[in-house]
Amino acid sequence: MLDRLQDYARSFDGYTELRWHTNHAVRLVMRKGALLQNSQSREGGVSARCYRSGAFGFASRPGDTEEATKAALAEARANTALYERAVGPCPASLPQTAPGTGIYDYRSRRVPLSPSERTDLLRWLNDAIAQKYPGLLNTDLVLSSLAMEKALITSEGAATHSYIPRTVLLFGLSMQANDGPIELSDVAGGFGDLQDQCYDLEPLLERIDALYVALREKADGTHCEAGVHDVVLDPLVAGILAHEAIGHTCEADSVLTGSVAGDYIDQPVASEKITLGDYGGRGPDGKSDLPIHIDDEGTPCRDVTIIENGVLKGFLHNKDTARRLEAEPTGNARAFAFGDEPLVRMRNTAILPGVDRLDDMIAAVDRGYYLMRASNGQADWTSEFMFGITRGYEIRNGKLGRAIRDTTISGVAFDMLKTVTHVGDTLRWMEGAWCGKKQLIPVGMGGPALKCRITLGGQ
Amino acid sequence: MSGLVDASATDFTAELVRRAIGDGAHAAQVTNVNLDRFEIDFSERKVDLLRSTANETTSLGVLRDGKRGSATLNGRDPDDIDGALRTALLAADAGLADPANAVAEASSLPPSRHGAEMADRDAMIATVLAYIRELSERYPLIRTRNSTYTFFVKDTSFANSLGVHQRQRRAWYQFGAMFSAKDGARATSFNYSGAASYVPFEQLLAVGTVGRLIEETLRSFDARPVSEKFIGDVILTPDCLFHLMFVFARALGGYEFLAGTSPYKEKRGETIASPLFSLLNRPLAEDFPEGADFDGFGIPTADLDIVKDGRLDNFLVDFYIARRLKLPQTAGVWNFVVPAGERSLDDIIAGTRRGIILSRFSGGRPNSNLDFSGVAKNSFYVEDGEIRHALTETMVTGSLQQLLKNIHAVSREQVNFGDHAYPYLAASGVTISAK
Repeated sequence: MLDRLQDYARSFDGYTELRWHTNHAVRLVMRKGALLQNSQSREGGVSARCYRSGAFGFASRPGDTEEATKAALAEARANTALYERAVGPCPASLPQTAPGTGIYDYRSRRVPLSPSERTDLLRWLNDAIAQKYPGLLNTDLVLSSLAMEKALITSEGAATHSYIPRTVLLFGLSMQANDGPIELSDVAGGFGDLQDQCYDLEPLLERIDALYVALREKADGTHCEAGVHDVVLDPLVAGILAHEAIGHTCEADSVLTGSVAGDYIDQPVASEKITLGDYGGRGPDGKSDLPIHIDDEGTPCRDVTIIENGVLKGFLHNKDTARRLEAEPTGNARAFAFGDEPLVRMRNTAILPGVDRLDDMIAAVDRGYYLMRASNGQADWTSEFMFGITRGYEIRNGKLGRAIRDTTISGVAFDMLKTVTHVGDTLRWMEGAWCGKKQLIPVGMGGPALKCRITLGGQ
Repeated sequence: MSGLVDASATDFTAELVRRAIGDGAHAAQVTNVNLDRFEIDFSERKVDLLRSTANETTSLGVLRDGKRGSATLNGRDPDDIDGALRTALLAADAGLADPANAVAEASSLPPSRHGAEMADRDAMIATVLAYIRELSERYPLIRTRNSTYTFFVKDTSFANSLGVHQRQRRAWYQFGAMFSAKDGARATSFNYSGAASYVPFEQLLAVGTVGRLIEETLRSFDARPVSEKFIGDVILTPDCLFHLMFVFARALGGYEFLAGTSPYKEKRGETIASPLFSLLNRPLAEDFPEGADFDGFGIPTADLDIVKDGRLDNFLVDFYIARRLKLPQTAGVWNFVVPAGERSLDDIIAGTRRGIILSRFSGGRPNSNLDFSGVAKNSFYVEDGEIRHALTETMVTGSLQQLLKNIHAVSREQVNFGDHAYPYLAASGVTISAK
């Protein structure tokens, strides 16, 4: 496909991107043994984006024919012309970057799972759960894979092709507690196509057993005491914190529109134990589930240190924000589908590990909570954040106590991170993380365990 | 096959159904959607992007021996069409037999067309530039990001193997604004709102609650938490209800009944909310451009009262769940209206002894019991009938089940978002706390 796109490079007039992009997806949804969804999709097309007079013109068409490609290019140019007609021509240029080139094809070399093998996996799991735990109120199983395949050329000479697959198996259990139904879920999977995952029944059942035990504990659990507490955040919760509360605040388009991070550059915003970045490739340890090497503007993805030893150091840029803030593009321009324009997006965002052991961190808490799983999160341009917590335990006198019911944690990230006293020694990545910002997009979120003070909701 | 490439959407869906049956499906349905969009995206004080997209998506659902499989493709590449048919049939072969799987028997409606034929793109740009000018002049401290003014044309065709054919074309304008305020080092939370309309918006500041929320944002620089934990009133804004009504409706929907986790499954005919509260499903509303004439199974939609004067009259049950749980099929599409009341918002605020105006609930997903706990964003503290100050780091906790019973006022002001319409609701008994 890259060769075919190159044929159009001669026709580029000014800054232009031409992208062929197809998303391949498989999704099976089973609830209580009923197969509610059993589908496969392939959605692709070609898009063009031009830049003139300080604005972009974008157009897309389904398919990859010559007719579709020419139409996308012509309409993208027409959109820039429409803009110039309305506001008048104005000289403007985007910062040039070293053109990203290369093939990054992570397509599986194994034999694909057949439709029967996919269905059988869910059916076996469902039957095993039903047999072992007949008292459950509900069982949800969701098997989904997404591979994003792109070919991109730009007027600056970028030429790249990538195929990035990711697969997730979610299992959720519900049971009746004294005061109503309660739920817990977990996911298994990550980088690679379906056939690359180790979905052997025994290890999966061990995880489901552990989830069931946690669900029973939660059913007998207690509500948190509302207020500010000493807490230990599990690495997966710390990863969401890195993404939602810091990463979004430090996206340069947020900075341009009022994020408080814009006022804090080179200032201490966290404990000096905190170093946090947004990374290309598969992250600093090479283990995230989202490899990304060249962004959708053709800029090579470079690692961005956002916070270094507690001091705010950098923001995430595409070409346009880099132009406006007189910075270097960082390779953070990403688009989800062929009809989507690249936006400033995170890639693999993580707090780097420290030296503390999880057991020692829990032992250091006299009265507080160990927060293990978050459901959803949001953050503000003020760095105020909120996450739902679905799994956790009391800590009493340095030891884990009763399980807790669902709660919410909140705070102002640039205040809260200053309360971090311990940083765990192990970096873990959330499996199958997504981010929503005009478009949904897969991201990597990771971190070590953290001990800090945080506000909890309660009854 | 070349005939398929050039066929009308109606003929295309019918032919795919015929081919699916010819290839061995026992039943089939096909939905074809052509979606065109022209969007103006602007941030700060300038237009960033003019974007026009076109896409054609086709979803094939096939049944073999009661087993379901589906595939989705876009465009009309003959190889892709062949591949999608094969994929759907293979998926069905690998599926699980379920007597609830079927295609729907329904009356075919005459094709419908709603909205304008095409947009005046120059006029749309002029409207955006006027909005940007007005923001600069009236609200210099307001910052915006990824605000969009968009014209959509969505043409949907449906066919199934029982001879049902449907087609609707809907075209509408949509405005969405995202903004905050910044004054030196002082910054507010961001906020967002928007709405859809069949006709172009003359003034973007007047769309939905955008103008009101911008004014509120400018009054939010000196936000502070509530001084102490208390149980008080909450005035839910239309924007807040946009989120919370979906949480409520999901508990009335069949898929929660299938899970067995809905608290309402046995409560049809019972009073579950204040008599001041009703929830109506209105997919056919003339002022809902994002309504629908038929659902995903090709069944014509109908207006339906879900909760009437506090009584739960109907569940939200689609075709599959109706067969699966042997319930009446009621609603495959959700477009909610909470009818307006008789009191003005100002009057409701004036009657509030102590509470908050909750404009956005930023919280963990409420559990199956509809217990909620989260941060009050873009919200204000009210005491002795007056708005005292904007809130930050303030949490609200309660039960949505109980909150609906505790509604004591509904505003006469109602906001039409283009797919839903909500007033302001006031209820008591919510726990409000700060860190």
